[in-house]
Amino acid sequence: MRVITHTCPACGTVVAANELEANRVMKCPGLECEAVLRFDDLDPEAREHFVEHREQYQI
Amino acid sequence: MKGVLLAGGTGSRLRPITHTGPKQLLPVANKPVLEYAIEDLRDAGITEIGVVLGNKGREAIQDHLGDGSHLGVDITYIVQGNPLGLAHAAACAREFVGDDDFVMYLGDNILKQGIEELVESFEAGDFGAGIALQEVENPREFGIADTNADGEVTALVEKPDDPPSNLALIGIYAFSNAVFDVIEELEPSWRGELEITDAIQELLESGHAIDSHVVEGWWKDTGRPEDILHANRLVLKDIESEHAGTIEAGAEVVGRVELAPEATIESGAVVRGPVSIAEGSTIGSETYVGPYTSIGPDCVVDGAHIENTVLVGESTVTSDGKIVDSLVGRNTTIGSAADELPDGRRLIVGENSNLKL
Repeated sequence: MRVITHTCPACGTVVAANELEANRVMKCPGLECEAVLRFDDLDPEAREHFVEHREQYQI
Repeated sequence: MKGVLLAGGTGSRLRPITHTGPKQLLPVANKPVLEYAIEDLRDAGITEIGVVLGNKGREAIQDHLGDGSHLGVDITYIVQGNPLGLAHAAACAREFVGDDDFVMYLGDNILKQGIEELVESFEAGDFGAGIALQEVENPREFGIADTNADGEVTALVEKPDDPPSNLALIGIYAFSNAVFDVIEELEPSWRGELEITDAIQELLESGHAIDSHVVEGWWKDTGRPEDILHANRLVLKDIESEHAGTIEAGAEVVGRVELAPEATIESGAVVRGPVSIAEGSTIGSETYVGPYTSIGPDCVVDGAHIENTVLVGESTVTSDGKIVDSLVGRNTTIGSAADELPDGRRLIVGENSNLKL
């Protein structure tokens, strides 16, 4: 199973794609980081893979 | 080598204590469980640590650990979100780990002996992984490893009916970078998780040698209240006396007692170690604090009898009933109903509480 992540450019916190997809647009979960992270920050190919296999990323 | 410390999970077996905070921050001998793991990693020479966070307690863990500098490490946070398995947690750390090897450590485990030998043994050979094992009496309840004479793992089996050994996986692993490609090929198990045992099995089947290290000394998974109390006993057994606080004349202090600055044992109190008393706490007169008790910061214990108990902190205990074998959450008041009418106990008890009166 492909595990997709995104690193906040402001604070370096790594966020799993399932978290990004669940929120679509979210404040970075890094404490005191003001950056806004988006599912769309992932590259298109990674987004497409995630959406096609969404059920794998849910529990 | 880097460290990946798993700090997710719901802590459901520790409710109601974990309704208001993550299990990894529960104190054992007045130190959060998670800090024992960080110290083990640091003592093994691993100072770059990725802390994997789940859906619960993210802010509290970040707030407590910060950037790690006060613990002598450099922390990067990795948000896993959904609990999709240990192998998923490891894979979330791929970018953080880069081309290094790494140790993965379950953040609610405490080991007496640390992980230096595990790391040294792993680094001494060309291994795909190294796993920490411990002999258990009930191997049917664990993931079990079979090993050859050189200590290399030959098979892994989850909760076997017919165990090939009594060596259980205890949740501490060293991995080569090869594990990431293996995880990419895994499918979720029947419970919807990417299993780390499947990843190790795949490493094994693809020709990687798997090192093992049998941990001597105790190991504790602190998943249940009784485990916190047991871990607290095990750690307190080895403490040294340190009286940085105030012991008033007329107080009786016997055995090994850690008394933090700004903590006070008042005249007339009896404290029998091993006991740990954190900053700002007061043990009042006519109080007995017995062995294997940890009293967290800013507590008042007055006129009570308390032993083999953990007070997390900021609590007041003035009941004259004996309190034993108890785990008491933060900001709790345990008083006396002796002067109240009608006669009877008065309780405000949270969901999932467990009382024996």
